[in-house]
Amino acid sequence: MESGISVVLKAEQLGSVFGFPITNSLIMAWLVMALLIGFAYFFGRSLKLVPGKLQAGIEWAFEGAIAYMAGVLESEKLARRFFPLVASIFLFVAVINEIEFFPGVGSLGIWHASEFLPILRAPTTDLNFTLALAAIAFFTIEITGIAMLGFFKYVGKYVNLKSPVGFVVGLIELISNLGRLVSFSFRLFGNIFAGEVMVLVAAYFLPYVLPAPLMGFEMFIGLVQALVFAMLTLFFIKLAIVDPHEAH
Amino acid sequence: MSQLLSAFGIDWHLLLAQAVNFGIVLIALWYFLYKPVLAMLAKRQELVAKGVEDAGRASEMLAGADSEANSRITAAEGEAEGIVAAARETATAEKTRLLQEAEERAAAVARDAEARAAETAAKAKRESEREVARLAILAVEKILKKNYD
Repeated sequence: MESGISVVLKAEQLGSVFGFPITNSLIMAWLVMALLIGFAYFFGRSLKLVPGKLQAGIEWAFEGAIAYMAGVLESEKLARRFFPLVASIFLFVAVINEIEFFPGVGSLGIWHASEFLPILRAPTTDLNFTLALAAIAFFTIEITGIAMLGFFKYVGKYVNLKSPVGFVVGLIELISNLGRLVSFSFRLFGNIFAGEVMVLVAAYFLPYVLPAPLMGFEMFIGLVQALVFAMLTLFFIKLAIVDPHEAH
Repeated sequence: MSQLLSAFGIDWHLLLAQAVNFGIVLIALWYFLYKPVLAMLAKRQELVAKGVEDAGRASEMLAGADSEANSRITAAEGEAEGIVAAARETATAEKTRLLQEAEERAAAVARDAEARAAETAAKAKRESEREVARLAILAVEKILKKNYD
């Protein structure tokens, strides 16, 4: 332990409440939630008609995001409907990924049975979090597809009995659709977890010098991954609402 | 499969907890951040649109006021011209009337003087006739007196 690199794939359990496991990634998720909700609460109450720099920046970002989403979805109404989901995915994941490299995360912890358990661990390095987020995105996409196209038309995208080629294509579509759950969750988990491991290894080989620039790079990667998750959700929503006959 | 799940620490309790966490974040951000910010943007957009509309209306009103002023000035000028023309006409008429009256009065005065002169001449004539008669009588008397004396 003292001289080697310890990489733990799963989030460490710190305790349990009524049989419900409390992991360090769960605690950090709550911390980030408190930060985000606290900021939103105080920011939302201090909005002014003549905006300050922060308000102007946030308004600019919101307007830009909605305009971009309206361009992708080809509908201002749909863009406004899905904006909260896409923006929340981005903000939650981005803040988690940035906070990850703040002092104390991963370094503050408790010793339990000669094992060091960090109190905080980025939820994006816990597959439970990324899988839950992927599931939410997945169900949103599927439900939107069914709501916009109708059940039979949407299912008809995947179950096509008109021709053998169509049937196979539908089957491939179905598998790739289900595969999104895995790709969504493992992409985010893998990127952020790998970044953490890389920083850990760098700190082992060249401490004090190498980790800092790598951490800067990983913070950038964290933003990119948050953007990727949010954008893919948006694009898959777009794919789900496209009429199969229009698409071909 | 179960080995894979346990290697990654997949636990449905945690999955559920993280999904609920995201749900709370989504609802809280929607309520505290997106809704007020988007409402503020809409309000500002409305205000800007109203401002532009008001400015348009104001310039329209200004143009209207200009044309109104112009038409009033034109009307007033026309009216003034009318008044001047009427005054001039009245003055001319008055002048003509006064001249005529003066001429009439002069003619009357002349007539009066003529009549008076004629009367004076007639009176003088009558008086001289009387004098002539008296002198004739006187002469006759003298002659007669001389003859009888």
